[in-house]
Order: sequence, then C-alpha cells, then structure tokens
Amino acid sequence: MFESMPALLGAGSADVLPTTVGPGWLWLVPILALAGCVACGLCLAMRVRTKAPAWIVVGLLGIAFVLTFMGYSGWDSASAQVVKVFEWIGLSWGDSAGQSLSFNFGFYMDGLSWLWMLFVTGLGTLIALYASEYMQGDKGYARFFAGFALFVFSMACLVMADNLVLLYLGWEGVGLCSYLLIGYFYKKPSAVAAAKKAFIVNRIGDLGLALGLFLTFVTFGTVQYDELFALIDQGVAGDMARTPLSEMWQTWAIPLLLMVGAFGKSAQLPLYVWLPDAMEGPTPVSALIHAATMVTAGVYLVARFFPLFAFEGVPHYALWTVGWVGALTALFSSTIAMAQFDIKRIMAYSTISQLGYMFAGLGVLSTVGAASHVFTHAFFKALLFLACGAVMHGFAGQLDLRKLSGLWSVPGWRIVCVTMLIGCMNLAGVPLITAGYWSKDMIMAEAFVTPGGQIIGWILLLTAGLTAYYTFRVFFRVFVGPVSFEPGDEHHDDEHGHDNGHGGGGGFHPHAPGWAVNTVLAVLALSSFAAIGLYFTDKPNGGFVGNLVGDSTAGYVTPYGHHGADDGHDDAHAAAEGDVRFVLVADPPAHASGDATGGDHGADGTPDAAHASSGGLILGMDPHKAMYYISAVVGLIGILIAAVLHGPLGMGGLGLGTRTEAARSKADELLPALGPVARWAQHKWYVDEFYDFLLRTPLRVLSHVFHAIDKLLVDGLVNGLGLLPRAMGSALRPSQSGVLQGYAAGMAGGLVLLLVIVLIFM
Amino acid sequence: MDGLIHPALLYLLLALGGIGVAIALPRPKFSPQILGALIAVGAFGGLFLILGLKASERGELPNFNFYIFAIIALGSALRVITHPRPVYSALYFIMTILSSSALYLIAGAEFMAFALIIIYAGAILITYLFVIMLASQSPSEQEPGTLSAYDAFAREPVWASAAGFALLALLTTMMFRGLPEMGPRNQFDSDALLAQLPGKVDTALSMEGLRGFELTETREGVSAVDPAHQQVLVMVTDVAAFNGSLEHSERVAVLFEPGARAVAVGDVAWAALPEGLGVDNIENVGWELIAGHPMALELAGIILLMAMLGAVVLARKQIELGEDEKAQQVINLGGGS
Amino acid sequence: MHLLADSMVMGQVTLAHYLLLSAGLFAIGMIGFLTRRNLIIMFLCTEMMFQAAGLALIAFSRYHMNHTGEVFVIFVLTIAAAEAALALALVVLCFKRRESLDASAWSELRG
Repeated sequence: MFESMPALLGAGSADVLPTTVGPGWLWLVPILALAGCVACGLCLAMRVRTKAPAWIVVGLLGIAFVLTFMGYSGWDSASAQVVKVFEWIGLSWGDSAGQSLSFNFGFYMDGLSWLWMLFVTGLGTLIALYASEYMQGDKGYARFFAGFALFVFSMACLVMADNLVLLYLGWEGVGLCSYLLIGYFYKKPSAVAAAKKAFIVNRIGDLGLALGLFLTFVTFGTVQYDELFALIDQGVAGDMARTPLSEMWQTWAIPLLLMVGAFGKSAQLPLYVWLPDAMEGPTPVSALIHAATMVTAGVYLVARFFPLFAFEGVPHYALWTVGWVGALTALFSSTIAMAQFDIKRIMAYSTISQLGYMFAGLGVLSTVGAASHVFTHAFFKALLFLACGAVMHGFAGQLDLRKLSGLWSVPGWRIVCVTMLIGCMNLAGVPLITAGYWSKDMIMAEAFVTPGGQIIGWILLLTAGLTAYYTFRVFFRVFVGPVSFEPGDEHHDDEHGHDNGHGGGGGFHPHAPGWAVNTVLAVLALSSFAAIGLYFTDKPNGGFVGNLVGDSTAGYVTPYGHHGADDGHDDAHAAAEGDVRFVLVADPPAHASGDATGGDHGADGTPDAAHASSGGLILGMDPHKAMYYISAVVGLIGILIAAVLHGPLGMGGLGLGTRTEAARSKADELLPALGPVARWAQHKWYVDEFYDFLLRTPLRVLSHVFHAIDKLLVDGLVNGLGLLPRAMGSALRPSQSGVLQGYAAGMAGGLVLLLVIVLIFM
Repeated sequence: MDGLIHPALLYLLLALGGIGVAIALPRPKFSPQILGALIAVGAFGGLFLILGLKASERGELPNFNFYIFAIIALGSALRVITHPRPVYSALYFIMTILSSSALYLIAGAEFMAFALIIIYAGAILITYLFVIMLASQSPSEQEPGTLSAYDAFAREPVWASAAGFALLALLTTMMFRGLPEMGPRNQFDSDALLAQLPGKVDTALSMEGLRGFELTETREGVSAVDPAHQQVLVMVTDVAAFNGSLEHSERVAVLFEPGARAVAVGDVAWAALPEGLGVDNIENVGWELIAGHPMALELAGIILLMAMLGAVVLARKQIELGEDEKAQQVINLGGGS
Repeated sequence: MHLLADSMVMGQVTLAHYLLLSAGLFAIGMIGFLTRRNLIIMFLCTEMMFQAAGLALIAFSRYHMNHTGEVFVIFVLTIAAAEAALALALVVLCFKRRESLDASAWSELRG
C-alpha cells in the first residue's frame, strides 16, 4: 500500500536551532491586536457610528507589523528566539519526570514564525484598510473590526506560540473568529448555516489536534517547543527510560493526529466542505482568513512538526497521507472550480486547490516549496479576493460571471481589472513574471524528484493546467468583452439608490471602488511581484522564504538541500548525498534490519540510485530544469483554452473587449459533449449531498430514535415522578384552608407530636 | 416523676381543667361560663395543692403569696380567653400581668417585675385597648349591647381545649420528669460569677461612700484594699473556705464582720447579702445585660427601631373605600347622634 | 424589697410550681389563640404565651442564681412590644378594609 509513499532522506544529524532569549517587547504584537479588539468592543458598546474602529484597527495592526518587522530585523537567523511573557500553567503531581505540566505564555520565534507573522500582520493591516471602505455603512462596523482584530491576535498566538497549548488556544481562537465572521450577516440564514458548518467541520479536525496534543504530552512529557524539539533531535521520548522514538508507535501516531487537525483547518479532503460556504462572510474576511492566513495554519502545523512527521526509523504514514490528500484535493477542487459560476466560490475552490498544492509539497518533503507557496499565495489570493470583493461591492452583490462582462471598459474599474489580471496570472502560473509560477513550480519539481512522488507530480501538473483554465475563465468572462452587467439584489449601500435594474445596466450605476480599495489592491499587486524578488535573493537556498524555512524546525529535514526550482538543485544533490541515510519504505522491520528490500523501488542503493529508479528524469532532463518548461507550457495551454472558449480568441480577435456571444456559446457547446460530468462538477460532485446522506441522515434517524426514547422512557419516568408530589399536594390541599387557627392548630399538633416522640423515645 | 405528683392524678386534673375551659369558652346560646371557669381553676388549684403538699414535706414550700397570685393569674388568663368582650379581655390580661409581676417579685426579680408592669400593663396593653376601641364595630341601634359574631362564640372549643391540655400534659410530664435530672441549683459557673465580682464590689463600695479602694482578684474572690486605712473587703465564692481562712487574715475583719459583712456569692448568697451594701437586682440585671449580652442588646434596639418604622409605614397607609362603604361608615358613626 | 425573696428557697419543688404555672398560662394562651376569632384577642393570647415563657425564664433565673433569665425576659418584652406595634397596625389596616376583626375574613389569602 505504501509502495508509492514518498521516500524520505532523513538528515538525522540535522541540528535543532539553539535558542536565545528574544526581545521582551514582542508580546506587544498580539497584545496590540487584542487591544484593537477591546477598543472595537468599546466602540460597539458606545454605539460609535464613525469609522473610528477601522482606523484603530488599521493603526494598531500597522504598529504590530512594524514591530514584527523590527523583531525580524533583529533576529539572528542562527537561533530560535524564545520569549517568555509569563508562566501560564505550572502543575506537578509527582516527583518523576513527565508528571508535571508547565508551560509559558511565550513565543518561539524561528524562521517559520517570522515568515507567518510578517504576512499575517502585513496582510492584516492592508485588508483592514480595505475593509474600512468595504464595510462602510454597515451596522456591524465595530463588530466586524473587533472580530478582525481578535482574529489577528489569535493567529499571532497560533504562530508565535512556544508551546502546543498556546498554539491550540490560537487555533481555536482563529476558528472562533472564523465562525463569528462567516456568520457576520447573522440575519442571513445561509450565512448562519455556513458559520455552523465551518465550526462543526473544524471541530472534527480540532479533535485530531487535541488528541495529538495529549499524545505529545504523554509521550514527551512536555509541550514546550524547545524541549520538545530537543527530545526529537535526540530521538528519545520524555520518559525516564528515554525510550528511542523509533521504537514507539506514538512517533507515527502523533503526526497522523496533528494531520487531521491540519486537514480540518486547511480545508483538505474530506474536510474541505466548509470553506466554499465560508464565502458567506464579508469579502475581507474571505481574503484574510479563508484565503491568506488562517487556512494556512494547517500547513504551518505540519511544517512546525516536520521533524516528527519526517522522523527517520518509523513509517511515515502521515507524510504519505499529507502528500496524496494534498494532490487529490488540488485536482478535485479545481475540477469543481471549473464548473462554478460564482466568482467568489471559484476563488474559494482555487484556495482549496492551492492549499492542496502546499500539502502535496509538504508530503514530498518540500517544506520550502510549501512555505513559499503559502507566502506567494497569501498575496495573490488576497488580491484576487479583494478584487472580487470590489466587483461584488460595486455591482450590488452580483457574483455570477454570466451576468458580468467587460469591466475593463467601465470607468473607474481599471485598477481593479489590472490587479485582478495580476492575481490571475499568479494563480495560473504565468511563467517567469509571477511569483505563483515559481513557488508552484518548486513543489511540482520536488514531487518528481522525490521517490514515489511522480504520480503526485503528474496530478499537480494536470491541476496546474486546470487552474490556469478556470482562472482565466473568470477573467475573460468578467473583465473582458462587451460591457454588460446585471446588478445583484443586495442593496447594502443605500446611498447609491439604484433600482433593481435587471436586464442590463440601464438604471444601474456600478459603484466604483474608492481610494482605500484601490490602494490596497495596488500594494498587493506590487507585493506579489516583490515576492519574486524575494525568491531570487538567495537562489541556492530557495530565496528569502527558503532561508527562513531553513532556519526553523521545518528546515530540519532537507533531503535535497535547500534547493529552489532553479538549477541550484545540483548543489542540493551534492549536499544531499552526504546526508542520505536510508530511503523510507512501508515496512518498518525491513529497514529496521538495515537491508531494505530490493523490491521497493528506491529502497536500496545510494540516493542517486533511488533518484534514478524513481523516474527522476523527465524529457531527458533533470526534473527541476524540465519543470520550468513543462509547467510553463501547461499553464499557457490552460490560459489558451480559456481564451478560446471564453475569451477573445473564441472570436478570432485578439483585442480586449471583443468577446461576443459566439464565444459564450462556444463554451456552452462543449457542455453536452461532457455529458453528466459537467453537471456533476457544477454540483460539486455532490459531496455535500453525499455527506448529508452518509452522516446527517443516519444522525437524523438516530436522533428521532433517541427523541422517542426520551419522550417515552425518560419523560415518562420524570412525569411519573412528578405525579407523586401532585397527588400528595391534592391530598393535602384542603388543609390550606386560609383559616388562621387551622395553621396554628397545625403548629400545636406538631409540637404535641414532637413532645410525644421525645417522651417515648428519649 | 420523683413523686412530685402522681401521673394519673396529674392527667385526671388536667382533663378536668380541659373540660372546664371547654365549658367556659363563649358559646352562642347556653354557656355556663362561670361553671367552666370554676372547674378549670379548681383543677389548677388541685394541682398546686398537691405540689404544695409535696413541697411542705420537703421543706421547700414557696411563699404563700405565690399561691394567691398564681390562682389570680390563671383565673384572669381564663377570663381573657373566655370573655366575649375584647375590652374586658384586655383588662383581665392586665390583671394577669400584674399577678405575674408579683410572682416575679417573689422570685426576686424586682426590676423585671416593675418593668413588666410599666411596659406591658402601661404601654402595650394600653395600645391594645386603643386598638380595640378603634377597631370595634359600633353597636347597632336596634340591638344595643350585642356582640360581633366573631366575639360571641368560640371556634371548636372542645377540640382546641383538648389540644391545649394534651400539650399541657405533655409539657408537665416532661418538666416533672426532667426536674430530678437537673443538676444542683448552686452548680453555677463560679468563674462567670468571679468575673462579675469586681463590678459588684466596686458598686457596693461606692454605695457605701467608700472610695479609693484598689481591687485585686484573689483565689477566693476579690479583695478591695484601701491603701490609707488598710481596710479590706473580700468577696468569696465559697463561704466555708473563706471562714476557714479568715483567722489567718487580720485585715479582713477591719471593715466587715465575718459572715455578716462579707458578700458571699454562693450557697447563701441572697440571704447573706448585707443590707444596704448588697448589690441589688437592678444592678445585677444591668451588669448581665451590658456585660453579658451587648450584641443582643444592640439587636433588640434595631428590632425596636424597625418595628417603629414599620408601624409608621403601616399607619400612613390610606385605605381607599368605595362610596357604598363610606356611606355605610357614615351611618355607623353617626348612628348614635 | 427582699421580703418576698428572702423567705423563699428555690428548691426543685418550688421550681415545679413556677413551671406548672407557666405551662398553664401557655396552654390557656394557646387555647385562646385557637378558639377566639377576634384578631385582637388572638394577639392578646400570643402575649399571654410570651408571659408564660417570661415566667419560666424568671423561675429558672432564680433557680440558677444568675440573671441571664431576667435579661432574656427583657428581650422577650422587646419582641412583644415590637410585635404589638406592628401587629396592631396591621389589625387596624385589616379592619379598615373588611370592617371586621374576624380572622376568617381573610381566609382567601390562602395560597
């Protein structure tokens, strides 16, 4: 079963980063966000109607970003900074080790934490700025920003935590904020249902995380990262006997449990169903929480515990699962995205798909690739969402790509169009000039390089083509072509006072975005280009992100060196050769005995042999090099198809704004040919219905059964008991005559009775 | 019952008393109240007679006045509950109070005896009388002197008397059974008494016009020493021990004659109290009240204050009467004129 | 002042006299409370029960040669006075409403 499991070249001697004491003021970063939340709460209580909450949050988050950047600048990349704010819990119930539970409210700042914190606070600031305009006029303005700030606080706790419990606090905190913000329009039943769905599905994942946390504590006797990773580095458990981890089942069970948590939060199969519905929330929320930051928490978790995921000497069930689930999720959700008409939903499915890429990257041991993709994706997906949000805002909630067209030519929308184009290019992976191309590339190349990862690589490659197609389907449909639009039925902004101009934009004047939205879009678009620059800063190590990841726990295992998608792979190979110890196979006893069987490809011989036998060469080239060309071509083909079916090429013309009905019908013509497949994809492969059938129906039947039991048995018992006092009451009621002397006689009789008892028995 | 009274006799007399009370309670038509009262008082008198005989056997006969006032108290108490007119009931209750206060005096509680008269008879009962007069229906013209229905006859007199006397039987049984088991009456807490002694001595001396004494607590009691005259007053808890130690102490005899002048708190404390020098009842009560129960005293004050406030609030309450009721009241009030 | 007190020896039999009297007063008060319908008389009967308790307290105080019992009689008087003040005010109010002092006039006050 695990034959195709990616092999792992564990760098067993890789050192855990030494820890130093970090700057004490770092606690200001989460606290500033929390202060923003409190301030917004006060605004809410005082019924502030101005934009004050927005400016408070933007300001505080901006300061938090600056502080994060200062902290990052002062970070000595050779060590992980540990900041203890205060001792959170200190319990002990015995003398021996493992019988105490103590951890701090503290931060563990290595490359991974810094990377995440930088874009969480940075994007948080930008999106808060965007929301200051976007949410204008909404009644829950302060409530929105309170939740927003609370989210940033929780996310900071999650990312900066120096122990699992604080991470868990942040984990649940972001889940709560997600719930609150999805259900922000709480009068809308669909929003409430979506919030509930997100919360409940996340619970399943959180159960896994909680169990993983417990098992970690039981195994290692600590939840503090520094102690934890030191133990993992030594390869021993935290008990008195210092049992080697390679002999313990917990070593592969903990990652499996953590993985479940990561799948829930990061919307992977089969727990992805909540994320598309989460688009019921305001668009800034979708951009920040459900595209850029929170959903990458799962990636962060796996990367953070990568030493355990990739621990040598035990089967890597978790890593194998992560890789395959990631790849399948990527493919699966992109097929759904192809058939959707709601542009925000398309973006949601593309988010799931891209998260799948990240997990696949982790599965094929490319933590650098995964982290890079997280980083670039954060920018361009936030950009895409915010652009979609601007469209939605301007066209009164209209999100159907069949009813919007030619925004390029509508005055005031040029910035949105340009930035949308940049975002789409990133997502589609337009070669060379987009950051998305490079980071995606890195993952795919790594998949082909890793033994057992070829199939994953092909899946990802196919997905890249599909991604390019559906991305530009949106772009060509909405932003190019003749001007034509129908407003939606949402009039949340009454100042526009437009009528329900159905049937063309007759009386409807789209509300062009203001300066804040445009500024944020422009900044994000520029950032997505800047990400390429960061990528090239230090090529051999995978650039800026590669450096950061290398200086973190995720850099613990670097099987092929810190290579990027460039030709640095040769150096990486050279570096890796010395490190290679063994190649993982499914059967632990096999390699426990030292001689891996020859039947498992890649299980024997040198890494080169492993490399070669795992089909490393593509088109006669090294995969890394080949992947540049292949993925570029695949991406361009996807765009081309989109252009033919939906865009200007369908008409034969090349100019923007020339799409016609002919092009539309060209796409529609193909639908019958696909048969039911298209319909199924449009209905999201009926997964929701399947879950309904599989889970909700039995639960409903069960609940009816329990209801009946409750009614008949429990209620019967309780009501039967209730009859007793009622009968007694009706028996004694006549004594309540209202005659004063009757009561006095009762008292006298009681006294007599008491005296009789005393006389007789005492 | 330690032979105080034979149980059968006790229950017989109590049953008799119950029958008497039941008869004596007011009835609408034929009511031989006098007969019932006589039976009841006779029953109680019999009880006291038997007890008195027993007491004279043991030489513990109470003051003769006790019997007089006890019978008066019981008789007037009976009249309180049997008299159909509330004003008479209240007046009979004053009589009960007065005889009770006489019984207090017999028991040596002079202060409480007079306080009882002042507070109860003087204040509370007068209030009752006011309220009775305020709240009584004016007799109608047609039948002057008729009683209100609720005054004219009692509710369930037989059952109530039976219950009351059953309770009385049980109480007396308990009492008479419990009395022999009670500890000797002088087994009081001598430490507590000693603690009160300095105050008592001080009071006694100042009443004599003797000042400047230094009080010191000794093993036997308290000695008061006048530095100038070397006079000593000793109050002891144990007279025998005190008398025994007296010969060795010359200073004791300077001011007080042994036995007569010493205030011995113990076996014969009250009898040996020297005239004029003794600490009288009111001071004892005052001392006990202030030193022994300061908290209770404060609480009593608060209760009285609250009662006063409550009375004010209730008295201010206006009752809105309908037109018919007002008219009826006018007729009632102006009926006589 | 000490005339009465001096001639009395408070033995157990003497205490029994007092207690019998006290119990008798209490029983009579209770019978009165149970049988009479006039609210004022009923309150008088409660006062009589207070009296009975006071008498027992005085007797025990004498018997035990201390003054605690007497002090408690003061408190009994206090409660009696407070009760009289409030109860009589209530009686007057009740009378104004019903033009009757019958206790059963208020029997609809039952729960």
